[in-house]
Amino acid sequence: MNQKTSRQLKKEQTKAALIETAYDIFSKKGIQGTRMSDIAAAANVSHGTVFLHFSTQEAFIAEVVQYYCNQIALRTHEYSDSCHSLRELLSAHLDGIMEYEPFYTRLVIESRMLPTEARDAFISVQSAISFHFSKALEREGLTSIPAGSLFNMWMGLVHYYLANGDLFAPEGNVIRRYKATLTDTFLSLMEKKD
Amino acid sequence: MVIFMKICISCGMPMMKKGDYPLEDESKDYCIYCARPDGTLQSYKEKLKGTTEFLIRTQGIDENAAHELAIRTLKKMPAWEHAESL
Repeated sequence: MNQKTSRQLKKEQTKAALIETAYDIFSKKGIQGTRMSDIAAAANVSHGTVFLHFSTQEAFIAEVVQYYCNQIALRTHEYSDSCHSLRELLSAHLDGIMEYEPFYTRLVIESRMLPTEARDAFISVQSAISFHFSKALEREGLTSIPAGSLFNMWMGLVHYYLANGDLFAPEGNVIRRYKATLTDTFLSLMEKKD
Repeated sequence: MVIFMKICISCGMPMMKKGDYPLEDESKDYCIYCARPDGTLQSYKEKLKGTTEFLIRTQGIDENAAHELAIRTLKKMPAWEHAESL
């Protein structure tokens, strides 16, 4: 009785296709720089069809970003939950980013320009890792520096490399190339703090 | 293999192991971090305060900005979508 009609199914499939297509195009061209019509064309639907599913461009961006940020946050949590040392955690954090690197990088670059809902979704990814990060600091007795400051130091390092990926890894794959460098550098600073 | 996991209705955290549940009670829909010591769900007021403090402590966010962010974040959770902001 609750079975969906073929029309409902088709509608859901079209919406999912639009979100997936937007993810691909946002990853390549950026979020703010992409026109709705480009996404519609790539998804093989009319421009008007996009507005049957999303009331405004802002709502569309917010939904795409929220959907994938939920995925990234979930992945980050899955990878981080079994980590014990700070080294394992930093490595797991970078593994989570690596799977979504082109899209994640666009979020880093465009964060302040995004609609509030989309930006909040990106911050929720940071919250997912900051939770595990602060627990790892406690386990290792690294409590003399505020957890928030250390977390922002780590995020600043990672995001700087991603935001300037054209300089650090012109071939792409910033995280794959610098994963060891970033974790080793950060951890060596921790060792020297006393 | 597909693993089904619950997502906390109060904060969105995936609950992947017994220890993620209040008093290890896997019938609960909220996580250990959203529960009081007796296993009941925190009030909206308690959760808002806890979320705000978490954002300040772990990410160094300004107190007012953290408060506003916590309100917007909780509003998206099933447990709090109809809660009145304080």
